[in-house]
Amino acid sequence: MPTIAYDKKDLLKLVGKEFKDEELREIIESIKPSVEKITEKEVVLEHCADRIDLFGIEGLARAIRQYVGLKPRLTKYKVGKSGLTVLADSVPVRPYIGCAVVKGVRLEDSLIKSLMNIQEVLHETVGRKRRKVAIGVHDFDRIKPPIRYVGVSREEKIVPLGHSEEMSLKEVLEKTEKGKEYGAIIQSSRLWPAFVDTISIFSFPPIINSERTRVTEKTKNLFIDVTGTDRLAVIQVLSILVTNLAERGCKLESVRIKYKKKVETTPDLNERVIEVSKDLVNNLLGLSLEGKEMIRLLRKMGYEAIDYKDKLEVIVPSYRLDILHPVDIVEDVAIAYGYNNFELVNPRVESIGKLDELEKFSDRIRSLMVGFGLQEVIRHVFTNQEDQFDKMEIRRSDVIEVANPVSQEYTCLRVWLLPSLIKVLSANKHVEYPQKLFEVGDVVLPAEGETMSKSVRKLCVVISHSTAGFAEIKSVAEKFLASLGIRYSLRMLEHPSFIDGRACQILIKGKEVGYFGEIHPKVLENWNLEMPVIAFEIELENLLS
Amino acid sequence: MAMFVLTEEGRKYLKKGLPERRLVELLKKVGRITLKEAEKQVENFDIALQWAKKKGLVELKFNELVLVREPESFLEEEALRRVEGGEEIEEEVLKILLQRNLVEKVVKGDVDKLIGKEVTNLTPELIKTGIWKKVKFKPYSTDTPGQKLSFGKPHFYKQFIDEVREKLIGMGFVEVRGPLVELNFWNCDALFLPSDHPSRSIHEVFFLKKPETGKVLDKELWERIRKTHENGWITGSSGWGFWDPELAKRLILRSHGTALSARTLSRLKKEDIPFKMFSIAKCFRPDVIDAKHHIEFEQCEGIVVGEGLNFKHLLWYLKEIASCAGVEKVRFKPSYFPFTEPSVELQGYINGWVELGGAGIFRPEVTLPLGVEVSVLAWGIGLGRLALVRAGLNDIRDLYTDKLEILSKKFLV
Repeated sequence: MPTIAYDKKDLLKLVGKEFKDEELREIIESIKPSVEKITEKEVVLEHCADRIDLFGIEGLARAIRQYVGLKPRLTKYKVGKSGLTVLADSVPVRPYIGCAVVKGVRLEDSLIKSLMNIQEVLHETVGRKRRKVAIGVHDFDRIKPPIRYVGVSREEKIVPLGHSEEMSLKEVLEKTEKGKEYGAIIQSSRLWPAFVDTISIFSFPPIINSERTRVTEKTKNLFIDVTGTDRLAVIQVLSILVTNLAERGCKLESVRIKYKKKVETTPDLNERVIEVSKDLVNNLLGLSLEGKEMIRLLRKMGYEAIDYKDKLEVIVPSYRLDILHPVDIVEDVAIAYGYNNFELVNPRVESIGKLDELEKFSDRIRSLMVGFGLQEVIRHVFTNQEDQFDKMEIRRSDVIEVANPVSQEYTCLRVWLLPSLIKVLSANKHVEYPQKLFEVGDVVLPAEGETMSKSVRKLCVVISHSTAGFAEIKSVAEKFLASLGIRYSLRMLEHPSFIDGRACQILIKGKEVGYFGEIHPKVLENWNLEMPVIAFEIELENLLS
Repeated sequence: MAMFVLTEEGRKYLKKGLPERRLVELLKKVGRITLKEAEKQVENFDIALQWAKKKGLVELKFNELVLVREPESFLEEEALRRVEGGEEIEEEVLKILLQRNLVEKVVKGDVDKLIGKEVTNLTPELIKTGIWKKVKFKPYSTDTPGQKLSFGKPHFYKQFIDEVREKLIGMGFVEVRGPLVELNFWNCDALFLPSDHPSRSIHEVFFLKKPETGKVLDKELWERIRKTHENGWITGSSGWGFWDPELAKRLILRSHGTALSARTLSRLKKEDIPFKMFSIAKCFRPDVIDAKHHIEFEQCEGIVVGEGLNFKHLLWYLKEIASCAGVEKVRFKPSYFPFTEPSVELQGYINGWVELGGAGIFRPEVTLPLGVEVSVLAWGIGLGRLALVRAGLNDIRDLYTDKLEILSKKFLV
């Protein structure tokens, strides 16, 4: 989740109180974010994905202020009327918009920085890399209303931010950095979204703003556009942006959005009211709090609440996008109470423990193999087809392959254990021989059914030394089967990984369950091995039944 | 040069007397006796009878044994005494003793040349010939290097995992296993992860190349999950307002053990509750592979299902689970997981506070569609780092190491 650095001085100024670094760390971690570090100048936090309202420095300061009791209550923000109306056509790729006018901004360094930071973070997170929500911030005084939000042809022109020459929207996608990065979001649509005033296009969401409406140090008033594919997300992102600006003393003004069939006014900073049963709070947390105490705790978290019989009517600020269910509010009660203030209580849930049958059987086999004088190894289930097939001199067969591997070494799941163990031998040529290894592990085979695959638990043994031969591995295999009291039969096996006439298949009730033999020198060459290797591999699931 | 030593049988007769002597003694006492009765009273009766007859000492009369002649002495017994004493005996008696397998020939080779000397190895010949009494053994010192041998040994990571399993079984948890290839449906949708959640991207989850999709078998559950995502269904939630059924069908590699908890809950019957399960679940995530991260790792996943379970109980379990993994000092921090509320990060003190895992109480949006109406406490703890601490290692890649030097050194006690 996003890691964000904050200006410590600015943060403490916004909070309105000084804290020692350790105090600050503890307060922030009690609220939720993880503190990566606090230096002389910076506070670096790793955020959780739900508290988007804390991403901006102003929202973070607000939460700290409320939590430590400096202003423990819901913050109300005034929204005046700008008188502005945006006519919104139905734009196919980004149907929902929210706009706001913000007056009286003093664009000192800290504000510009925080405005840029929050935009970037919101784009990356809740905006899903601008696909779901994108934000544009403009110098309001450079815009000549009326403003329309329309779908336009890709041949329409704009002077994109940071450029001096006019270009078509198509060219913006081809030539500008942002165009290349985010063009795919709108590429497939015939008409592209644009905010247009009486002069020209001034915003081309979700790609870029116009140079004309660029925000500079002289900017006094802002026009903010938020567009997206999810109405709720658009409205809430706008709430977060404007309430952050209001925390800096800016004046908020609303904009009317006139769609074809309805009219909305944004930003919508109206609180939601969610009913929370007091029993739910106390049952979930194991507490017995009175309504009054619950309200005190909720205020610490920036809510307001009304005690109403066995319920609380909780007033949720508009910037809290994460509240879906009363349980989300219960968590905030717990946070205000302090996680480390809870008593730890043994619920005395009576139940009987039980090992998984196959795991238990695997444990037995492992200790048997250690008794055979073998070293246990654990290798990755993840592997690649070269190791699994090519180097073993066998033809490639179907495997579970991933679409997004992170390295050539790990592209598919193993279908047999032997290559995993031979790879270990090949990495230990400098180590004393004999080398005797085993693994009890899973392979994953393509199969029909729910997950189109099945995991199979297997045992594999490899032994390598100068006189390792068929008779030795036969003895291991037979001793193993005899220890389990299993009736089996053997059949000579032709297998390209083994020397002809020196490999056997193991059958139980006519079913092939494993094999053993001397590894073919060609395979040894492929693995760069110079010592004879004998091997034994068997499915364990079949032996258990 | 050859010499002779007593066999085990020879030593026995030297101590107890020859079997035929014991038969003679018996007849002297009882006069006559049936074969059946004699067999009961004389050890090695067959041998006794054979030799007593051969020597003309006894006879069978009317089915009874009678003593014919009482010998003055038994040659063999005297000979056995002499062989034991290292003395030589006559050729003829020796023949009998060899025939009766009471003595055996030992090839002394050069053993007697060792008499009075210092020897390195104690050999079977030295022991059998008794010459060991006449040699000196060369002493070793504490600096003597040990011989290089290959030994069998369990893997230290498995040992650590087994410790944790043992303790959880002791606490009454049932061990569960599940598929490594998983449906997105179980890994994400059943856990109320919104379809567009960043943790579902190709940067966080391995998707299968072929086949791309699996089959969700429970159509009713499928509908309940769809409604929960779209509008909250009957859970009291607003839901996410959208759901992508195609994404839910995609096959992936299990990215967290919680997928298994969702599967288990869906199968849980009312009579199974209260219920506690755990799994040592192998999980996969596309990550940069370095000393701290790998794309394949183990989580200890657990849930407790029961009426009236609450946050205080969850915290108690977390402390106990940490203790199972060898961490005694813990604390709790708020956190976020889309499937739990409240959510908590478990931190343990290991030369400083470190994150051990995540936990919480499953949201109603998770439990109700799965048919569970009571509280479910849940957690997932990464085992890799704890195992490293326990084994005194610090590179996560060493858990699946191919270095035999590491494996042969590490053993947890």
